Amino acid sequence: MRYVTHFLIAIYAAFVIPNAANGQDVQGLLRAADQYRVPSDNLEVETLVESHRADGSVDKRKRYIVFVQTGRKSLVLMQSPGEKGQKVLMLGDDFWLLMPSSQRPMRITPMQKLLGEASTGDIASMSWAGDYSGRLVGEEPCASDTMPVAAGGPTVCQRLSLQAARKGVTYQHIELWLSRDHHEPVRADLYVQSDKLAKQARFVMDRASAPTQVDEMVLIDHLGNDKQTIIRYLGRKQRTVPAEWLNPMFLSQNPALD
Amino acid sequence: MTCARKLKMLILAALLLARPTVWAQDAGADKGADGPAGAAALELSGHVRGIALGQRAAQAGPQAVANRLQPGTAETSPSVALLQSELRAGAPLPWENWRAQGITTLQTRQRSDGRGDITGWVNEGYATGSSFGWQWALGKKVVSWDVGYAFRPNDVVQQETRRALLPVTLSGRPVWMAEHFADDSAWALVWANPLQSRTADAPAEPALALRYYRRTGAVDWHVFARWGARTRASVGAAFAGVPSEELEVHASWRAFAHTDRIAGPSGPLLVAANPWQRELSGFGHQLLVGGTWTNARQFSLLAEAWWDGTAPSRDNWLAWRVRNAALSGLLAHGAPAFAVAGNLAWQMQGLGYDTSLQRANLFTRLSWKHEAWEPSLDMLYTPADRGRIVTAALAWQGDRVKLEGGLRAMFGPVDAIVRQLPVQRQGFVAVTWAF
Repeated sequence: MRYVTHFLIAIYAAFVIPNAANGQDVQGLLRAADQYRVPSDNLEVETLVESHRADGSVDKRKRYIVFVQTGRKSLVLMQSPGEKGQKVLMLGDDFWLLMPSSQRPMRITPMQKLLGEASTGDIASMSWAGDYSGRLVGEEPCASDTMPVAAGGPTVCQRLSLQAARKGVTYQHIELWLSRDHHEPVRADLYVQSDKLAKQARFVMDRASAPTQVDEMVLIDHLGNDKQTIIRYLGRKQRTVPAEWLNPMFLSQNPALD
Repeated sequence: MTCARKLKMLILAALLLARPTVWAQDAGADKGADGPAGAAALELSGHVRGIALGQRAAQAGPQAVANRLQPGTAETSPSVALLQSELRAGAPLPWENWRAQGITTLQTRQRSDGRGDITGWVNEGYATGSSFGWQWALGKKVVSWDVGYAFRPNDVVQQETRRALLPVTLSGRPVWMAEHFADDSAWALVWANPLQSRTADAPAEPALALRYYRRTGAVDWHVFARWGARTRASVGAAFAGVPSEELEVHASWRAFAHTDRIAGPSGPLLVAANPWQRELSGFGHQLLVGGTWTNARQFSLLAEAWWDGTAPSRDNWLAWRVRNAALSGLLAHGAPAFAVAGNLAWQMQGLGYDTSLQRANLFTRLSWKHEAWEPSLDMLYTPADRGRIVTAALAWQGDRVKLEGGLRAMFGPVDAIVRQLPVQRQGFVAVTWAF
C-alpha cells in the first residue's frame, strides 16, 4: 500500500503540479497581456473599424463606443450613420441586440454575435484572462510567413494555446503569441467552435520598444475572403456607467453619453 | 403644386436636415481624443430614402370582380414612387437628467395614376428623464415589448407592421411611462392614449399596460397585463432563451377578454350602406413559438408558428366566400351591376383585419449575410387553405448607403384567402442615404 501511495505522489508531482503551475503562469501572462488593451476594470473605449478591399483601399469605416465594465459586461453603441442607434449588450455569456427601427431588445446567440468582418465580440471583448485556459507551448519567433511583425517589434515570443473556459466567448480556441520581454500581444490565430481558423489577428502597439497599449488590432478574415479589417482604439478612459445601462430592457432608452 | 416642385422642396428639406449633422461632426472632430465625452449636446441623425414600389392588382377576388362590373368601384393600390426624409434628434432639457427625443418624417409620393402628395408626421416626440429611482417618459413614443418576429401578441401598447415588404420607422403612441431597472429585472408601467375617448377603437384606446421582466441566466422572462377602456383585461407571458451557441428560441402567449374585430354582414345581400362594422369579440388567446438558428457561415433560419385567436375563423371565411358567390350570382337574376359591384367592394372590408388572415400560421425565413450583401427568402403559410405569401429580397449595406430590392407574391389555391388580397404581386427597389 505504501508503494502505491508513493507511486501516486510521484505521478502527482511529475504531472499535476507542473501543469497547475503552468496554468497559473498562463493566467498571469494573459492578465499581463490584457493590460495592454484594458488597463482598467471600467472603461469607455472609442473604436474605429476599417474594412479594407483586396487592393488595400478602405471599403467601410465604422465608429463604436464601447463601455467595458467589471463582471464581463460590455455595452456597444454603434455611431456610424448607417448603424446609428444600434446597440449590443453583453452580460457574461448572454447577448442582446437593439435595432432602432423596432426599439425592441432581442436575444442573440453567440454565433450571431460573431457576424461581420469585425464581429461585435472582437470589438466588445478585450480580455482573455478568465475567459480562456490553456498551456504555454514554448518560445517561438514572433513573425510567421503570413503575419509579419512591425519593424522594431519583438522577435522572440511565448506561444500560448488557449481553450475557451466559458461557452459565450467569441472564439473557442486561440493560439496566442506574446512577446517574451513585455508580454504584450503580438499575434493570434482565432478558431470558431468547429475548430476552423476564423481569423488571424496582429496587434500594433503604441511604441515597439517599450509598449504601453495596443493601438490597433489587424484582423484577416479567413471565413470570408481573407479581407483585412483594422480595429483602431482611438481613446480609452475610465468610466463606470450607471447599473441600469446594463439591463437589457434599458437598451430602448437613449441616455446622454455625457 | 407640381410634382417636380414638390420633389425639389423635399430634397431641399433633406439637405437642410442633413446640414446640422455636419456641424455636429465637425465639433466632435475638434474634440479629438476626448471621444464621446465631447459629443455635441444636440444629437442629430437620419436618412433620406427613395423607393419605387410596383404593384399588380388581383385578377380574381371580390375587388377584381367589382371593378370589372363597374370600373373604379373599389380603389386599387397603384405603383408609387416615394421620397422620404427622416430626422432623429435628441437634446438635453433644462432639468437635470432629462432629455427630449424626436423622430419626424417628411414624404412625397407620386402614384402611377398621376396623383401625388406631400405628407409629414411625427414618429416620436417625448421627454424622458430619471428621478426617484425610476425612468419616466411623456409624449409620443414607440413601445415594443414582445419577443417574436412575424407575430407579436404581447406588443400590447402598439402593434408593429409585421413582415412589411420594406420596413419603415414605427409611429409611437401617446404615453406616460414609468420604468424601474434592477440588475436582472425591470418594471414598466404605461398609460397609453391618455387623452383619447374611452370609446376609441383598439389602436387609440386608452389603456394601462404593465410589463415585468426577469433574466435568469440564458433566459429572459416577461409577464404582461393590460386593461383597455373598451377591450378590458388581457394577460400574457413570453420568454426568449439561447440553449446553444447557434440556437435562439422564443414563445409568447396572451389571453384577452375582448378584442376589436370587423364583423361581417348577416342580413340581405344587397344593402345601401357598408354592412361591415367593428365590434368586440369574446374571450380568446394567441400563442407563438419560434426560433432562430445561425451558423458560422452566417446562414440564418428563422421559423415561427402561431395561433391568432383574433383572426377570422374557418366558418367566418366560409360565410365570406358564400356571400361573394351569392352577390355575383345576383347578376343572373337581374340585380343592377353597380349595386352588386358596390357590395362586392364592401366585402374587401373582410380582409382588412389588423392581425393575421388565418388563425393558424407558419412562417420561415432563410437569410445569408455575406460581407455587405444579405439575400433572404421567406414564406408565410396558412395551412387552413394552403395559401402562401413568398418574399425574396436582397440588401447591400455600405457605409452610408443601403440598397434594397425585393419581390413578393401570393400563391395557393384560387380560393385561398391570400389569393383574394387586392395586390397579388409587389416589387420594390430602395436607396437609403444615412447622415
